[in-house]
Amino acid sequence: MIDALLEKLAQRDRRSLSRLLTLAGRGEDRAEIDARIESLPHGNGRVIAFTGSAGVGKSTLVGKLIQTARADGKTVAVLACDPQSPLTGGALLGDRFRMGPATDDGVFIRSLATPGGNEAIAPRLPTLLAILQAFGFDLIFLETVGAGQTDTAVSRLADVVVLLLQPESGDDLQWEKAGVLEVADVIVVHKADLPGAERTLGQLKGMLELSPDRGIAVLGVSSQSKEGMANLYQTLWQPNARRHKPGLSALARDEFEERLSRVRDGAEFRRLESEWVDGKLREGQARASVWRLLS
Amino acid sequence: MSAPQRIVLAKVGLDGHDRGIKVVARALRDAGMHVIYAGLWLTPEAVVRVVADEDADWLGLSLLSGAHNTLVPRVLELLRGAGMGHVRILLGGIIPEADVHKLHAMGVARVFGPGTSMDDIVAFLRQPGEAVHD
Repeated sequence: MIDALLEKLAQRDRRSLSRLLTLAGRGEDRAEIDARIESLPHGNGRVIAFTGSAGVGKSTLVGKLIQTARADGKTVAVLACDPQSPLTGGALLGDRFRMGPATDDGVFIRSLATPGGNEAIAPRLPTLLAILQAFGFDLIFLETVGAGQTDTAVSRLADVVVLLLQPESGDDLQWEKAGVLEVADVIVVHKADLPGAERTLGQLKGMLELSPDRGIAVLGVSSQSKEGMANLYQTLWQPNARRHKPGLSALARDEFEERLSRVRDGAEFRRLESEWVDGKLREGQARASVWRLLS
Repeated sequence: MSAPQRIVLAKVGLDGHDRGIKVVARALRDAGMHVIYAGLWLTPEAVVRVVADEDADWLGLSLLSGAHNTLVPRVLELLRGAGMGHVRILLGGIIPEADVHKLHAMGVARVFGPGTSMDDIVAFLRQPGEAVHD
């Protein structure tokens, strides 16, 4: 079945694209897809990740950039991640609603529920991106759940990482915290039509001047007035020397996350968990059993 | 563990009453489903595009405009045309009893009217459906 779908994917069949993303996203057929997709002609779609806190306007900005890209004749795919409830497993995926209704064949949007933040989907993302690239999109936008300071796992999958901030979102010391600023290639002060935007831009530029060799672009952008939009779009295409191949240990960590999530979903783990909760296991026994499941 | 069901919720046509669909969206989320909220004022073409790209198992349409006899058949026709005939359809909103039978005959799985409890909708979605694949 995977073979037939991949064959149709290479012929740009949209239905096969959609099916393959579902199968790879569930993890079951990921290994098989991974093994075979490398033999397909691989597009060179440019992957742009968007990160930033909830409410900063990631989906809205992506929606506007889709319009800009289409006007430029580029096809666009979007993977829009939203969090999944750790309690019920449910999710409300509302990003595409803000990206505007699309019946345009040059735009494909898939919403993705992500258990436990971005870390947990990191192992599946390379496969999802490879599928979209094999279909031949020019641009692939990856919208993260917006975990902000811990949102670094997705960054090495992207050619460019765009961090969104908004006016009045913290004093200048906030920018010194480790995490996001270290992985961002482009910092957008979104909602730049709001008061305070100039001050936030000034603080960021001032701080980045302390380490000019990092070459991070800082732009004010407004999705309302479209101010700065064309400039941001141009920036996305600039060669990015800061991206390099991940270390093998990073791949190992991804694979471990995947293994862990499978063990956690398994019946054996749940049986152990209820014994643990009921006090039938000592900590040493519990640790040994979990180790056995993981190895 | 089986994968959560994916359901697209949308409003078609010129109808801005979206309180009901948002209440349903929240209830289905809390029942552990993956709800893709596609928004309002959509054309049948746009709704079907969302269902296809999201590879959804279900489509829930909310209509309070009285245009269900025009819009629903169009959505069903486009879904079948897109190879998505296996997607099961729920309707909610103001749908006169006299039209419900017609809509069922067309292929709508269920119509939920005013006063429906969220538990009923969840229970209906959890019933094992006949396995249909294209």
